[in-house]
Amino acid sequence: MANYTLKYVTALESEHLMLDELTAILKKHQVKERLAQAVMLAVSEAFTNAAVHGHKLDSTKEIIVELIINDTEIHADILDNGSDGLDKIARRLPAKSMAEHGRGVDLIKHYADEVEFCSNVSGGLTVSMRFLIDAKSIEKTI
Amino acid sequence: MEISMREVDNVAVLNLAGRLDLASGATMKQEIKKLFEQDTTSIHLNLSKVDFINSSGLGALVSVMKEIRLQKGRLTLSDLASYVQEIFDITQLSHIFEIFGTEEEALASFQTMSTNEVK
Repeated sequence: MANYTLKYVTALESEHLMLDELTAILKKHQVKERLAQAVMLAVSEAFTNAAVHGHKLDSTKEIIVELIINDTEIHADILDNGSDGLDKIARRLPAKSMAEHGRGVDLIKHYADEVEFCSNVSGGLTVSMRFLIDAKSIEKTI
Repeated sequence: MEISMREVDNVAVLNLAGRLDLASGATMKQEIKKLFEQDTTSIHLNLSKVDFINSSGLGALVSVMKEIRLQKGRLTLSDLASYVQEIFDITQLSHIFEIFGTEEEALASFQTMSTNEVK
């Protein structure tokens, strides 16, 4: 089992840094392409939500990504220290067809095998996601 | 994300490469805004080298689509990787955008529409 704690300044540019590091970690563990794409997308969505909605792009705040990778699953937690995050999740409505926002949570729920939204000790939101590793998959590795 | 641009038969063709997300989506919108300022409203996006797109990238594309429609123009997409196409399907945006298998098919459609307008 491997644990990773990644911390990022809240900024638009940080998403690229996070995805680069996440790609490297998934490659190191030989995670298969299909699963890696799912992890990257779901984590990216939670990260963007933390940056934009949780922290309002406040660069004094930090986003934390915690990963646990073992033989059977990948667990990813994305933590912010914004406010009212859980309430916003509960009140969200599905995005309308021509909406420019509002699809992130639905994509997380589609690609993660399990997802949970909860308040963390900082008062912000933690998005906890679990991705099952299918040992029978024959897809190529990234 | 890298963006390269060329013109083919009065259609602005943009090749996007890399990730289409919040930051790069904003860059893409700025580049397309320049086209609008030059009265270019026939735009094709070749996404063959886009290896990642999230909801922010989709939002940027929707924003561009809405602006083009306001200007009575047309936007097409082509060469989506299967993973990218899947995201369009999941979010039902494949019903909103004109998506072609290849750039050639997309550009041919602009010519067909142009011919029909002349008639």
